Amino acid sequence: MPLYELGVIIDPEIEPEAETATLDRLEAIITGAGGEMVDKDARGRRQLAYPIRKRNYGVYHFWKFEVGGDALQKLNFEMRTADAVMRFLVLNLDRELRRKRKMDRKQEAKVAAKAAKRRASAEAEAAADVAEGAS
Amino acid sequence: MIRQKRRFRRRVKVCRFTVEKINYIDYKDVDLLREYTPTNGKILPRRVTGTRPIFQHKLARAIKRARHMALLPYVGS
Repeated sequence: MPLYELGVIIDPEIEPEAETATLDRLEAIITGAGGEMVDKDARGRRQLAYPIRKRNYGVYHFWKFEVGGDALQKLNFEMRTADAVMRFLVLNLDRELRRKRKMDRKQEAKVAAKAAKRRASAEAEAAADVAEGAS
Repeated sequence: MIRQKRRFRRRVKVCRFTVEKINYIDYKDVDLLREYTPTNGKILPRRVTGTRPIFQHKLARAIKRARHMALLPYVGS
């Protein structure tokens, strides 16, 4: 199952019960579809860069989870229709990080090649020293 | 001495992402993205910052995502 990252901004002026209810509903969709929560990051109240629905503040939540099937469609529908959700963004982190992993591997290979080259040259030098000492 | 002869000495620009090996630019990393968006909110061109093309693409995408999530402004003050 792919790993997803979800960011939601909750309306700050809504009752706390409604906020937790909305978040619970979202989580229930994920876990109900056999998904697994990986990380939950509640950033709390933060000033928005520009007003959304005439609100200057928003409550930020960032989740990471693994889920498959049509749970994502349900999740999107739920967030679009929920009054408490002001903004949301879902990213496929596997797809996002594929390029990163490739670049990381490339860099590791480069470092390893450099180290091997250095070792080889050091060995050659040592061999030359030995030969010199013998003559 | 050399400086006095040539009045304009070009500052060497380096791509921060190549140097620091940041291979994924997260839209939540607002402090990083702020460095590439002046107060007017526009994305600085790579001609100014010296960012490599691959990272400029990623940076632009991250900034646009951050704008959608109201972490960065579309138009600055």
